[in-house]
Amino acid sequence: MSSLAEVSRFDLVERLVHWSTAIMMMTLIVTGAILYLPSLALRVGHRGLVENIHVITGLCLLGPLLLGVAGPWRKQLIKDLRRFDRWGASDFDWFRGPTRRSGLERDKFNGGQKIEAAFLGAAMVGALLTGVIMRFAPSSWITWATGATLVHDALFFAIVAAVVTHVAFALSKPDQLVSMFNGRIPRSWAKSHAGAWWSELEVSKGDVSEAGSAEPRGGSSP
Amino acid sequence: MADELDETSGGRYPGTKPVHMGRRTVLGILGLTGIGIAVGTKIDNALGNVSSAVSNAIGVPLPGDDEFRYYTITGSYPVIPADTYELTVDGMVREPLRLRLADLRSMKRTKLVHQFQCVTGWIVPDVHWEGVLLRDVLDRAGVTSRATALRLFSADGAYTESLSLTQAHRPDILVADKMLGANVTADHGGPVRLYVAPMYGYKSIKWLNRIEVSNEVVPGYWEDNGYPVDAWIGGSAPVAGRP
Repeated sequence: MSSLAEVSRFDLVERLVHWSTAIMMMTLIVTGAILYLPSLALRVGHRGLVENIHVITGLCLLGPLLLGVAGPWRKQLIKDLRRFDRWGASDFDWFRGPTRRSGLERDKFNGGQKIEAAFLGAAMVGALLTGVIMRFAPSSWITWATGATLVHDALFFAIVAAVVTHVAFALSKPDQLVSMFNGRIPRSWAKSHAGAWWSELEVSKGDVSEAGSAEPRGGSSP
Repeated sequence: MADELDETSGGRYPGTKPVHMGRRTVLGILGLTGIGIAVGTKIDNALGNVSSAVSNAIGVPLPGDDEFRYYTITGSYPVIPADTYELTVDGMVREPLRLRLADLRSMKRTKLVHQFQCVTGWIVPDVHWEGVLLRDVLDRAGVTSRATALRLFSADGAYTESLSLTQAHRPDILVADKMLGANVTADHGGPVRLYVAPMYGYKSIKWLNRIEVSNEVVPGYWEDNGYPVDAWIGGSAPVAGRP
């Protein structure tokens, strides 16, 4: 049941894609750390088993996203993926930091969220490619496997850094964190943090109940 | 596809046309990945010393370093005191052996300086190895004429390996009790491990405690997990004597 004080931010498909990918990503990070860090490798052991969990999870990692864009349920997911791609002045402006931003109305996602999404998406594909070479390439490809290992190891550090940043931001922004669970976010958040998206919602939905009484626009972020 | 985020509408981004930063980021990361796969071996070699120095300082392995990764397939790994260690050589031999560490150290010693190359790609260059040639151990036991293969067993109770008898007679396969300039430590498979210089690391079985001479190559632990039995680095055997 959707409250009048809230708007829909993530639909069910997006949340399912997010959380299934998140669970697999955590599995990959934990098993990857066991395979990679000597202290953990020696403490946990069972390398064959850990390797198989890591490889099978890795092969499935892009599954939810691909399923999410494969059917008629994809509409909002595709729309949001395009938002990650398209940057306007307010997205670049976001990187100037909270005190120096010029107050341009922002999209549904800010520049930091967009770069995070694009990076993690690309890193998942890169880790999959290099991982497949490491595990399945014929043994005569050893030169490529060495290169793949180098990239895979580097991506491990980069992905861990990105995920830690992502989780830290999420924990410090309760409204946005909750919206990834129940899909909804307060209208006040949308107005003040994502003014461009808010305007879009008003235009496309013609929501009279709230938008009618709201002032035209201009509630830009502080 | 119809899309309400019209690029030309100035509504959301007044006065500017949106830039495809997401696409650029993805292409950039994937480009770097491709370059890394293609020339990563060169980068790995160039990074080796610096990466190892930093890695040793912070205690975390880094991409491109020249450090060993530690593999163990059981929940814990055997820590065998040097004075109780025994290597059994049995099967199709004239004289089954039980060699203690002192016995191995009284035999003809061989030293090799050669890389340790893992099949997944990581590599440690110029490792110092010392021990007894596998073929010298086999000669001491006296392999019978119908034997064609070896099964190698580990004290961890799970790790097994195999070699053909022809492979076992190469001059670059050691029953090693020293590596990296010291006794082989327990985490590296000590007190005694195998070192098969021309093959990928998984053939160099750790915690070696039994060599059974037989007439059939039985795939070992990693071979049962899909890795090749004839694990020549680069896919084919190097010329004998030139490891």
